[in-house]
Amino acid sequence: MLSAAASAIPRLRCAAPPRQASSRTQWSLLWRRPLSSSPNVAPAAAAASGPGALEPPDLPRLAKSARISLSPQEAEEFAPKIQQVVDCSLELALYDIENKPEREGLRKKDNSLMNYLHTAVGSSLREDKAEPFANRDAIIEALPSYDDPYIKVPRVLNSE
Amino acid sequence: MALTLLRGIRTQALPRANAGLFCTTRLSPLARFTTRVEGVQTTSPKAAPTSIQQAAKEAAEQKMQGFEAVIGIETHVQLSTLTKAFCSCPYDYGSQPNSTVCPTCMGHPGTLPVLNAKVVECAVKVALALNCEVSMTSKFDRKQYFYPDLPKGYQISQFDIPIAEKGYIDLDLPVEFGGGHRRFGVTRVHIEEDAGKLLHSESGNYSQVDLNRAGVPLLEIVSEPDMRTGIEAAEYGAEVQRLVRYLGVGNGNMQEGSLRCDVNVSVRPIGQSEFGTKVEIKNMNSFNEISRAIDYEISRQIHLHKESQADQIVQETRLWNEASQKTFTMRKKEGLADYRYFPEPDLAEVVLTSEYVDEIRNSLPELPEAKRRRYENMGLSMQDVIFLANDDNVAHFFDSTLEHGADAKLAANWIMGDMTAYLKDEKLSIHESKLTPLELSEMIASIKNGTISGKIAKEILVELIAKGGTVKSVIEEKDLIQIADPAAIVAMVDKVLADNPKQLEQYRAGKTKLQGYFAGQVMKASKGKASPVLLNKILGEKLKGS
Repeated sequence: MLSAAASAIPRLRCAAPPRQASSRTQWSLLWRRPLSSSPNVAPAAAAASGPGALEPPDLPRLAKSARISLSPQEAEEFAPKIQQVVDCSLELALYDIENKPEREGLRKKDNSLMNYLHTAVGSSLREDKAEPFANRDAIIEALPSYDDPYIKVPRVLNSE
Repeated sequence: MALTLLRGIRTQALPRANAGLFCTTRLSPLARFTTRVEGVQTTSPKAAPTSIQQAAKEAAEQKMQGFEAVIGIETHVQLSTLTKAFCSCPYDYGSQPNSTVCPTCMGHPGTLPVLNAKVVECAVKVALALNCEVSMTSKFDRKQYFYPDLPKGYQISQFDIPIAEKGYIDLDLPVEFGGGHRRFGVTRVHIEEDAGKLLHSESGNYSQVDLNRAGVPLLEIVSEPDMRTGIEAAEYGAEVQRLVRYLGVGNGNMQEGSLRCDVNVSVRPIGQSEFGTKVEIKNMNSFNEISRAIDYEISRQIHLHKESQADQIVQETRLWNEASQKTFTMRKKEGLADYRYFPEPDLAEVVLTSEYVDEIRNSLPELPEAKRRRYENMGLSMQDVIFLANDDNVAHFFDSTLEHGADAKLAANWIMGDMTAYLKDEKLSIHESKLTPLELSEMIASIKNGTISGKIAKEILVELIAKGGTVKSVIEEKDLIQIADPAAIVAMVDKVLADNPKQLEQYRAGKTKLQGYFAGQVMKASKGKASPVLLNKILGEKLKGS
């Protein structure tokens, strides 16, 4: 079923017409975009390379971006697991919420991601009132390397 | 005439010539060229504005050598809310390092961000002031990269659905740079959080991090690439600062870092529609630096084009070095950064209602642009208009003075001239002045009805600013009421002429300049109270008659 969904992707991407931006459809539009903002991943290329041929995750590049070192065995082990995560996310993205009846109050469980993000104004905001953190000492204690009053870090030459 | 001046400068020498020019600050375009070319007559300072504008325009075009610059600016404005964007830590510039922190802004595991309502309010205010379309729903995204001053390993920002888009800003260029009205587009405004501060220790192999600033709310304002010169860019920055201060959402201090500008510059031959390669410039600490950095970068790029080395212009980040007045490569990047944006799952959408937006729209103060147009319609010169509207406090003082019945031009002159000079000397700001708008209008009225002379007014102005009080009381206390009774003045003139027979001889012999001497003597005798106008009239008649 997953592979069917995966193979359906290229056609769906090409066929998806532009929608009016109600906030729900805005979200579904978002998810139809490539998950990575990287200029290296081009949706057209992915769509054009044939059925079921979405680029497998480039694990070495992913690991480098996340600053995680992987041994070759680990890379081999992780690749299919990450592929599964990607497939699952794509399935979510493809879920058609357009033709479901409007509901008030709680959404369907499958739309849990959408549910999570959507809320009324005011309910998730905080008043602009200062509350200094009481236990600053505990924070300083928890620092791996402290050079009063600064946090000590290895010398930074450049960000790459 | 400007062209003749310019022929004296060879184009190959342009970068070096410019290096000399950029050592000066804010000279008028004509003044630059007069120092380099000798023996050429300059236009007098009192030349009509149109010819200065024309000359400035011609000078600028000649310098561009058939190219035009395309400039865009990204401005980060620190909001002066009481607490940070996503936690309740206070923020004070200059606090002890790592004192205004908590587990949330330090990115400790298990902490969650909660958005500050005031941040949304400030963002909507700025968006409306910039004539933007406000998004009724917007969301946050994570912008991921690793750096020691970024505790969470990502910055909470807004990527594809910012809180506002498609606005514009109106401004007036300073008169000394040719003046003129401009409108520059604003691509987007979005909310994000600031990172901490990274300091590099001089010795040793470590750096130091202060996270006080981590999590402070920022508004990023991205302009359309509409600016064409360094001056336009600097004025755009200044107008954003003005706006931010007018709205009270931030203090917009470049020196403090609460207003930061990154500039993108490219050049292209006039008529070409494609943009040239754009170069980012950072590290400018004032609007003047922005202007000079851009001008330098434009000439650097034009120079490379002229030397057929346009391929040497690469998309990179350069730093402005104020000491050497040049831009330098920061580092050649291997490629674009991959920030792996994805929606921030810990934060709900920002949902606005039209009532909320309308309420904010109705609460906006009169913005700089509206003020300038209003002052212009009063008949004030552009120079006055720009000065008065620059600082909200000054504009307020001016408006109050007018409310008490003072004439606009006179009030403007007093505020811009003597008052500003005194305040500057004493390092005071206008709301520290003890002179009230009411008393200023009183003073102007007193001059108008002849109670005191302009000269006396200048003296009491200083006293009033420093100590307060009313015009009436100071005049009475110091016995400064102008003597406007012709008979009294005639008497004084007669006495002075009688007391100075020698000078009177000399005057009759032809030394007419001595009239000033007599006038001075009468002034001295009257303790400065004689009406100068009346005095000179009577003195003139007496001297002619004799």
